[in-house]
Amino acid sequence: MTDTTTTAAAAVSVRGVGKRFPGVVANHDVTLEVRPGTVHALVGENGAGKSTLMKILYGVQKPDEGEILVGGETVHFSSPSDAIKHGIGMVFQHFQLADNLTVLENVVLGAEKLHGIGDAARTEIRRISDAYGFGLDPDELVEDLGVGERQRVEILKVLYRGAKIIILDEPTAVLVPQEVDALFENLRELKSQGNTLLFISHKLDEVRAIADDITVLRRGTTVTSVKPADVTQHQLAELMVGEELPSPSTAESTVTDREVLEVRDLQVDDAQGRTVLSDINLTIHAGEVLGIAGVEGNGQTELVEAVVGMVRPTRGVVELSDQDVTSWGTRQRRESGVGYIPEDRHRHGLLLDAPLWENRILGHQTRKPSVKGGWVDKAGARIDAQRIVHEYDVRTPGIDTTARALSGGNQQKFIVGREMSGDPKLLIASHPTRGVDVGAQAAIWDHIREARRRGLAVLLISADLDELIGLSDSLKVILRGRIVADYDPQTVTPQQLGAAMTGAKTAGEEA
Amino acid sequence: MTVSAPESSAALVKPTAARSYRIWIYLAVLVIALSTTRIFTGADDITSSGTLRAAVIAAIPIALAGLGGLWSERAGVVNIGLEGMMILGTLGAGYFTYHYGVWVGLLGAAVFGAVGGALHALATVTFGVDHIVSGVAINIIALGVASFLAEALFTGLPGGGPTQSPSLDRPPTISVPGLSGWTESLEDKGWFLVSDLAALLNVVVSQLSLFTLVALVLIFGTGWLLWRTPFGLRLRSCGESPSAAETLGVNVYRYKFVAVTMSGALAGMGGAFLALVASSGYQNGQTGGRGYIGLAAMIFGNWRPTGLLTGSLIFGYTDAARLRSGGESVHALLLVLSVALLAIAVWQLIRGARLAAVLAAVVGGLGLTWYLRTDTIPGDFTQMTPYVMTLLVLALASQQLRMPAADGQRYRRGEAG
Repeated sequence: MTDTTTTAAAAVSVRGVGKRFPGVVANHDVTLEVRPGTVHALVGENGAGKSTLMKILYGVQKPDEGEILVGGETVHFSSPSDAIKHGIGMVFQHFQLADNLTVLENVVLGAEKLHGIGDAARTEIRRISDAYGFGLDPDELVEDLGVGERQRVEILKVLYRGAKIIILDEPTAVLVPQEVDALFENLRELKSQGNTLLFISHKLDEVRAIADDITVLRRGTTVTSVKPADVTQHQLAELMVGEELPSPSTAESTVTDREVLEVRDLQVDDAQGRTVLSDINLTIHAGEVLGIAGVEGNGQTELVEAVVGMVRPTRGVVELSDQDVTSWGTRQRRESGVGYIPEDRHRHGLLLDAPLWENRILGHQTRKPSVKGGWVDKAGARIDAQRIVHEYDVRTPGIDTTARALSGGNQQKFIVGREMSGDPKLLIASHPTRGVDVGAQAAIWDHIREARRRGLAVLLISADLDELIGLSDSLKVILRGRIVADYDPQTVTPQQLGAAMTGAKTAGEEA
Repeated sequence: MTVSAPESSAALVKPTAARSYRIWIYLAVLVIALSTTRIFTGADDITSSGTLRAAVIAAIPIALAGLGGLWSERAGVVNIGLEGMMILGTLGAGYFTYHYGVWVGLLGAAVFGAVGGALHALATVTFGVDHIVSGVAINIIALGVASFLAEALFTGLPGGGPTQSPSLDRPPTISVPGLSGWTESLEDKGWFLVSDLAALLNVVVSQLSLFTLVALVLIFGTGWLLWRTPFGLRLRSCGESPSAAETLGVNVYRYKFVAVTMSGALAGMGGAFLALVASSGYQNGQTGGRGYIGLAAMIFGNWRPTGLLTGSLIFGYTDAARLRSGGESVHALLLVLSVALLAIAVWQLIRGARLAAVLAAVVGGLGLTWYLRTDTIPGDFTQMTPYVMTLLVLALASQQLRMPAADGQRYRRGEAG
């Protein structure tokens, strides 16, 4: 049921585009019509080929087949500058900013001819920033900016070049609810001034809130195009994955009275001696999921690293099953039954250029089945890697594939599988489903629930409030390095949590 | 699963006005300290115009090599091959100066160095070879090529031989009439501070090599070009975030290629300075590791032109001090260093950094004991002075440095996003 809007000249049309990488078909027969002056959403699971399609549209990669029309005219992009010339701009999911350069330098880079690199450019940036309420200072270093501000720099970059067609690759993935609202305000403003927006996401509620048209991608090809009014969220999810929409909710409580993790009076100072975490007290029992809600950068990372043993606390005690482990190293803690899903899987979770079976050994380099008598047991590690791939439905050509070749969701499933190996007592899950599609999300939730039923204690950090509320047995809110509120997930709403997270407190019970 | 990667600290990356006037304070403190030491120890050569002139002559090749490193690393390519490019430069300078005079010699040195740079660019940018591997290979190749060509080019020439060129013309020097004589007589008075400053002035106004002026123009010109022009912004963006640059339509490969080739040309000019100003002709093994010291000076200078010039002058000065009445001068410098370390110890103690304070105090104390119990430093040790200084300075400075974010990383087109 392809949408056959008969607009004279679509802003962008994609006809039968295909792209192959060695061993993978990223896109085949992709067909897409974007009407001018609309927000067109592109939805699909991780690895469905959304990002590849966008890179083709922006000239980062060349298609192997098919044609692309911009404003009714066939175009061949060999580099992003060609796309820019045709008025296409892109806001990448992973920001393309140089931290050590100022906002001004980042914006004018590659477009120095427009207004130079001096005061004229500065004035123009101020003008755009004011026109859309971005609140950016041209001379600030990008590394001093928060996530929301960086994203606005990215949008400003595109506007500065006079783009009329703006591609946004999962722009909400890194934002908290309040920032998402602000972004949507900006997007509506952009649309009202005649810009065309191509919005990529797998968050269906957001898509339905902002889009005029929705195109669904599945396994590298366009499945259908629909109007948001014509479908429910449920139907959209089914189109995307071909199965039921999962929910994070847990069944009956499995909390026991056996304490697995106890943290008392924890304080962590950073390298400059600033206190980034203080007066942290928490207890997690076997079979309990404790959720920590908070805007990123409020001490969650430090809390996790202190519990895993990656940073030394300045003060306080960490106990695992009534044993003081404060002075233990990370390896010793892991050996005594701590599993850890890191927040940044590329930095901490995986060796991207190593095959999966070697990645299986990471963090288990002293334990069976990866090791036998002090030597790496290659056969054992391979068999167990195969088991993880099978049990956790990691979609990969094989265990000799490098981790880099997998999509984000599949990398994450592999990490979850590894961390669940060897029956941990405590799982520290930092954003376990970040950047993961609905299918993989459901699988990860299932595995956490299943382990919880068997008596696993879980410390869950997440930016996804529905996930926190659905999975947790109890919830704490962290703000500026302190626990500021406790909530019962049965009764709390995302709005209440959001308010407590940003310090705009209303009726939360003070901890 | 490793321990967290180094995080950049935001506090120390604004080298603007505040930083530039601090340099003058440091400089003033240094001159006063040296002057006091000269009066106190009687080691007159530590601030004599002879030593300072030798210091500048020793510093410029290092600075040019460092400047080459700056071009390359600002574009994201580590260039450990500077040494090799410098060697090629000495050879080019020797050959072209003999046949066509000093200015063509300088150009020839730049071209020879640029060939080495282009080779490095071809390997690292086009073929994605590891930067260190390629750089080391170039050093070895350059050494072999230079001694082979030297034998082919210079054997049989009057005064030349298989390992050295004939004696060559020096580049012209300039003196400011009147001022140079006046500063000289002032220096001879031996007054506290006045004579030291006069010696400093004398270096600038008397017998200043035109090559030195060219080098200074290149150093400050680079600062302007890389930080004030669109070209420079694009080049630096390739070192900070090549994928961001690519998404904005910058041809990353081309900029890296240009930068690394330019890097080789500058290192080659450093070689020319060595062959023509610091000595009177090409010799095998003339560079003696100055390419590496140039790299160290650049790192010390936080990948900035003024910083690397400061670093080069420090190394040049220690090099000159060891050459001119070495035992005595280095002995006096030991006193300066020990007292400075003790002062650092006190300062660190006030800041509450106890470990750093203790370390500085112990080293400073040992140095002072050594100074008090001896009258001179043995020749074997004075030889090492510039290298010990390299290590020491880098160890002290490396805490606050920030390299270009994507420096040394392989970059492939089409990986953006």
